[in-house]
Amino acid sequence: MEYIIKTKSLSKTYTSGFWGRNKTLALQDITLSIQQGELFGVLGPNGAGKTTLLNIFSSQLIPDSGEVWILDKNVTRKFDNAVKNKINMISGNPNFPWSLTVEENLNFYAMLYNLNRTERKKIISECIDMFELNKFARTRYDNLSTGTKQKLALAKSLINSPELLLLDEPTIGLDPDISQKIRKMIKRFQEERKISIVLTTHYMLEAEELCDRIAFIKDGKILALGTSTELREITKTNTLEEAFIELTNK
Amino acid sequence: MNLPINRVLAFTYRNYAFAKRNLFPFLEMIFWPAIGLVSIGLMGDFLSLEDKMRSFLLIGAIYSGVLQVTQLDVSYSLLYDVWSKSIKQTFLAPISQYDYIIGAWLFGIVRGTVVFVLLGIFSWLSFGFKLPSIDIVAISLAGILLYALILGMFVCFWVLLYGQRIDIIAWTLSILSMLVCGIYYPVTYLPKFFVWMAQLLPLTYFLEYFRLGYGFPLTFRYPLIKGFGLTLIYVFILFYMLGRAFYKSRKSGMMLRLSE
Repeated sequence: MEYIIKTKSLSKTYTSGFWGRNKTLALQDITLSIQQGELFGVLGPNGAGKTTLLNIFSSQLIPDSGEVWILDKNVTRKFDNAVKNKINMISGNPNFPWSLTVEENLNFYAMLYNLNRTERKKIISECIDMFELNKFARTRYDNLSTGTKQKLALAKSLINSPELLLLDEPTIGLDPDISQKIRKMIKRFQEERKISIVLTTHYMLEAEELCDRIAFIKDGKILALGTSTELREITKTNTLEEAFIELTNK
Repeated sequence: MNLPINRVLAFTYRNYAFAKRNLFPFLEMIFWPAIGLVSIGLMGDFLSLEDKMRSFLLIGAIYSGVLQVTQLDVSYSLLYDVWSKSIKQTFLAPISQYDYIIGAWLFGIVRGTVVFVLLGIFSWLSFGFKLPSIDIVAISLAGILLYALILGMFVCFWVLLYGQRIDIIAWTLSILSMLVCGIYYPVTYLPKFFVWMAQLLPLTYFLEYFRLGYGFPLTFRYPLIKGFGLTLIYVFILFYMLGRAFYKSRKSGMMLRLSE
């Protein structure tokens, strides 16, 4: 079995306040493996540590202890550029340079991945078509609706044709019809492009609909990990929501 | 070999896109430098300064405009991301401190040179100011543009460590350093401690060299060797410090707080 991500005993504590006196434990002893081509869900309430985990996978955060391997490279402290080239990430409520248009934003991020002019032109045009952004191509980012901003974020996340896509609550705050559309797009990426996806969410139905395997996470710890069916069987419940409640109440 | 030229040019492109669509980069280039120049020029008229003295002051006003505009462009390499809360998206890509600093500086060089040319023409038409020989102009302008790189990198270093609350230094740092380097007066007029400090800043030597072209005596010997030598040392140290600050901001979570 080939793994795209492997972690061993990952822990992270945030410090704040005077001389870092306030400490918040975000992750404790996280050990997991995510297979290539898998759509892996990380499910948990707000503050569970889902985003912290994704931020470690995306090089934005360095863990206090433990190890992370992505694409067979140890990236715990130093992220190889070759690995970064194969990863992309989006989050709910995305932010991009505000006075750049949709097209300029995509061009900027494509340049960051060192794509030449011809490559950029091709991929930007593909992304704009795929996410139906044509009529917004020359609209400034700060004039876009929330749903269109999220579509731009998804378009940007494919700009480097990633092998690993990290999606941090991609449908948060969106209208149900847009959320549904975005979920379909995510599923399509995985199936057509064979991208491995790690998705965090606190919507149980979303996880059930999209994910091959799910990790329940609370207070920085993994409570259970398995397919949706396995999780229901372990807890002898009928829905993922009931399974989660059952596990958290133990 | 796949050179990271597009990654560098990405930041040149972004600074250009911001500049063409917003009013403040235009004001930075034309309005504020012109206001400074006119004030200094008219003060020279009012005080009936001889040409040599007036040139001394006008050089200060011109270089102050060039320095401020160019160093802001370098600082904007991070500040645009901080203000847009998009720093997380940018640093997700395989970029290094060299890419964003050099890319933004390239656009700063263009803006700084435009400011220099415009202010030079304006002060010639309005106050009869004449530039010295082309080699003196080119060398000292290169020095000022390099000094702007140092200031911008210094701003980026502090922003990476302490976030948006420190962004005000982008506007104060160059003004303070101009004060210490004797922008409108010889540094010998400063208290001793500040004269010592001025000797540590390359700008002092580049201003001295430019004024040499008008026959002003040198306060310090070998201005070009000292100016470019110090620049090289500072650029080298600051690139290292930016790398460390980036690591620290990933460790502390500052990188993420800047995106929230």
